[in-house]
Amino acid sequence: MKLNIDYQEKFQARHIAPNQADTAQVLKAIGVKSLDELISQTIPQKIRLKAPLNLPPAKSEFDYLNNLKQTASKNKVFKSFIGQGYNDVIVPGVIQRNILENPGWYTQYTPYQAEIAQGRLQALLNFQTMVVDLTGMEMANASLLDEGTAAAEAMFMQYSLRKNQNANVFFVSKAVYPQTIDILKTRAQPYGIELLIGDHQSVELTDSMFGAIVQYPAGDGAVYDYKDFATAGHEKGIKLTVAVDIMSLALLTPPGEWGADIVVGSSQRFGVPMGFGGPHAAFFATKEEYKRSMPGRIIGVTIDSAGNYALRMALQTREQHIRRDKATSNICTAQALLAIMAGMYTVYHGPAGIKLIAERIHGLTVLLEASLKQLGYEQLNKTYFDTLKFDLGDFTPIAFNT
Amino acid sequence: MSGICLIDETTSPEDIKTIVRFFARVKGKTLNDVNFDELKENIQTNIPGGLQRRSAYLTHPLFNSHHSEHEMLRYIKSLEAKDLSLCHSMIALGSCTMKLNATTEMVPVTWAEFSKMHPFAPADQVGGYMQLFDELNNWLSEITGFAAMSLQPNAGAQGEYAGLMVIRAYHNDRGDSHRNIALIPSSAHGTNPASAAMAGMKIVVVRCDDNGNIDVADLKAKAEQYKNELSCLMVTYPSTHGVFEESIIEICAIIHENGGQVYMDGANMNAQVGLTSPANIGADVCHLNLHKTFCIPHGGGGPGMGPIGVAKHLVPYLPGHAVVDIERGKSIHAVSSAPWGSASILIISHAYIAMMGSEGLTDATRYAILNANYIKTRLEHHYPVLYTGANGRCAHEMILDCRAFKNFGIEVTDIAKRLMDYGFHAPTVSFPVAGTVMVEPTESEPKHELDRFCDAMISIRHEIDSVEKGLSDKTDNPLKNAPHTASVITANEWEHPYTRQKAAFPLPYVAAYKFWPSVGRVNDTYGDRTLICSCPPLTDYEFEESEVTTPEFGT
Repeated sequence: MKLNIDYQEKFQARHIAPNQADTAQVLKAIGVKSLDELISQTIPQKIRLKAPLNLPPAKSEFDYLNNLKQTASKNKVFKSFIGQGYNDVIVPGVIQRNILENPGWYTQYTPYQAEIAQGRLQALLNFQTMVVDLTGMEMANASLLDEGTAAAEAMFMQYSLRKNQNANVFFVSKAVYPQTIDILKTRAQPYGIELLIGDHQSVELTDSMFGAIVQYPAGDGAVYDYKDFATAGHEKGIKLTVAVDIMSLALLTPPGEWGADIVVGSSQRFGVPMGFGGPHAAFFATKEEYKRSMPGRIIGVTIDSAGNYALRMALQTREQHIRRDKATSNICTAQALLAIMAGMYTVYHGPAGIKLIAERIHGLTVLLEASLKQLGYEQLNKTYFDTLKFDLGDFTPIAFNT
Repeated sequence: MSGICLIDETTSPEDIKTIVRFFARVKGKTLNDVNFDELKENIQTNIPGGLQRRSAYLTHPLFNSHHSEHEMLRYIKSLEAKDLSLCHSMIALGSCTMKLNATTEMVPVTWAEFSKMHPFAPADQVGGYMQLFDELNNWLSEITGFAAMSLQPNAGAQGEYAGLMVIRAYHNDRGDSHRNIALIPSSAHGTNPASAAMAGMKIVVVRCDDNGNIDVADLKAKAEQYKNELSCLMVTYPSTHGVFEESIIEICAIIHENGGQVYMDGANMNAQVGLTSPANIGADVCHLNLHKTFCIPHGGGGPGMGPIGVAKHLVPYLPGHAVVDIERGKSIHAVSSAPWGSASILIISHAYIAMMGSEGLTDATRYAILNANYIKTRLEHHYPVLYTGANGRCAHEMILDCRAFKNFGIEVTDIAKRLMDYGFHAPTVSFPVAGTVMVEPTESEPKHELDRFCDAMISIRHEIDSVEKGLSDKTDNPLKNAPHTASVITANEWEHPYTRQKAAFPLPYVAAYKFWPSVGRVNDTYGDRTLICSCPPLTDYEFEESEVTTPEFGT
């Protein structure tokens, strides 16, 4: 017997399910002689491509992963102290293997058919509950795409809710993350919203403003008490969005307790890998009175036909397929899987565990500041959670091997 | 110069020492110049009392009862068991392309080299990602026929918005800032008009003809009427009705003649790859739902990725970023927080294209069309197929008309819920036409799975017949009472005119592998009337009729 050593397993045959025998039967049932005949009956000849796609030859699964390992090695994994809205995390193994890497959790669709989706609906309700608790707000949705777009949604919600139709200025604290400000600029432009970027401590609040956004802790790490700013704004009819670090809220007074109308942020820090930018779930929390204006999908409690506890997506009449051009937001796909992971991180650690993690982060930051102070470095943030800002004078970066 | 340093969950006291050593050396000192151990023993918060949190959080029992790994593992598995996923059966959602999410495509996502990278890491540390993006850009450009891609948009709707903002910037740059009208066919996905509104455009709806195609005469009239204000057309191809419209080239030409750009919604790209392309039909921009055509899993409602491809004249306007330099000259501001959106899942699409190659990708399209036409052949005598192409073929999906059943009280929702008793997730309900279902099998389903689904649909059709002929009760029948839970089937009392067997095991294959819906049909109005959006404490929530089972909160 001659042995075939040229055999190469083809991924194509795993991805495309119909085999030859089945295909023959199917073609017969449809009433065509070949796949080509069916395709030419389906796609108008004049729009067909003239040549095959110019792509590299297909790799087997084995070869692909081996090859990708080499590409991956060109990414250098170092300890990151960059911050700016993205933090390294410890993904609990039980969550990584059983949710993130588990097709039972990642291959489902959006839970429109609630009766066969109660598992992830509960997991998303957990996420909403976690966000409500930590932000001190009244309700939260089950995720937006990222912190920046959540902030843009918040700005637009404030704009839609404004009482004074002539108010078109949105105040943006200069300590909001630069990528968030960039997205606000994109979103503000088509509506003629004017962004006033400045210092919340010195800005003059005027009647032309409909809203404001601040970051807590601020982008440079400083923790400000925004209570008076919120109160002064409310007196002028200015609603306040606060972009938060969810971990810091284990130790800091939550914005819901000092006047925030909307709280947004990323839940990446709760056990979701940085992944060079994503995917992560952003959250959006607000007051009950704004529930009909809130963008994104909201999970709510109801009953089933037997009167039992059941969950489903609530207030769907707000969605685009019903509201069309009246829709206040185009949010459709969200970040369910990542919201589920972040929610599970809090289920796994519990309030005491979350507090210990936050305390350790804050404590190590205090330790670093104190150590560097002894070396003569001046730290600029009076109050901080996990981020220090130093005046380095005419510092020149040097290479350093530990 | 000022510097910022951040501490996270993974930071250890040793890491702090390393940083201190570094700062010491800059000043010509060593760690010995710091009383590190002494400082370590007395760490006090600097948060003033007024800013320290006093209120409790995560007090619900749910956050306080799964802290051992066994409890956590079982909690996760208990929830997973309630959900139907691709692990159980085909999910034939039209316009959603629920194809295989191959394990090999998923494996690298959690490799440290990809998962532990900060998006703002210095360029010389991210060579792997850059190579991956370059390749993916080239491949997707080849597939769409476009000049370049932006990998930034994080979802399809965000791609739409990004694409429209690019078109807007293009018009503005040419001194055509008055061009702000978007023509949108009545059959468009709801996100189209919502995205256009977000991009500051006015929407003019274009009619569809009786065959579901864009009414070219109406389109022409409107394009000419608004030729001075026309910004763009948003068109899905093949159409949301699942048809390759013959007139698409003419449609694109009309828009261009009147000064507009053509935005193609890439939701149905799975019917195009390798056979035709957005550039080939005359589009200027399109987004790709990588979580449909290019194998990123749906994740139960995200993540997704919606990169956009553009023709050469629009490349300079692709989104930039405030932190990482990806400017293209006249870039619009960012649309996502991260410069390359949800970067780590781009690997999945990269893997898919690399392992399929040109022939594999084209075959995927061909087999997606084959599978759809097979379902059409099997079901068209039971359910009218709403729209087809010139030769009576559908593209990769089809619409089954269920509106006639309304005459004897059967709604499309009843069919959707009854499918659960057969172990299937419903196809897309009431989109793009109310009272219909839209079925998209994809290339990843074998014939016997398509047959199981068709058998279920035909069996349901017989159940509908029974109602129509008066053989089943109008309101107390398997369709109206669907889905049937295990607790209903096993209850001591059974007062329905049909059998438990019929309710739960309507076809032989169901008995071999039964997926039980965990609750009966949910009551939408009840929940919207008394909105509760966080885990309710036992005492706050009263049940109207709870004789069947004890409610399980927070499980």
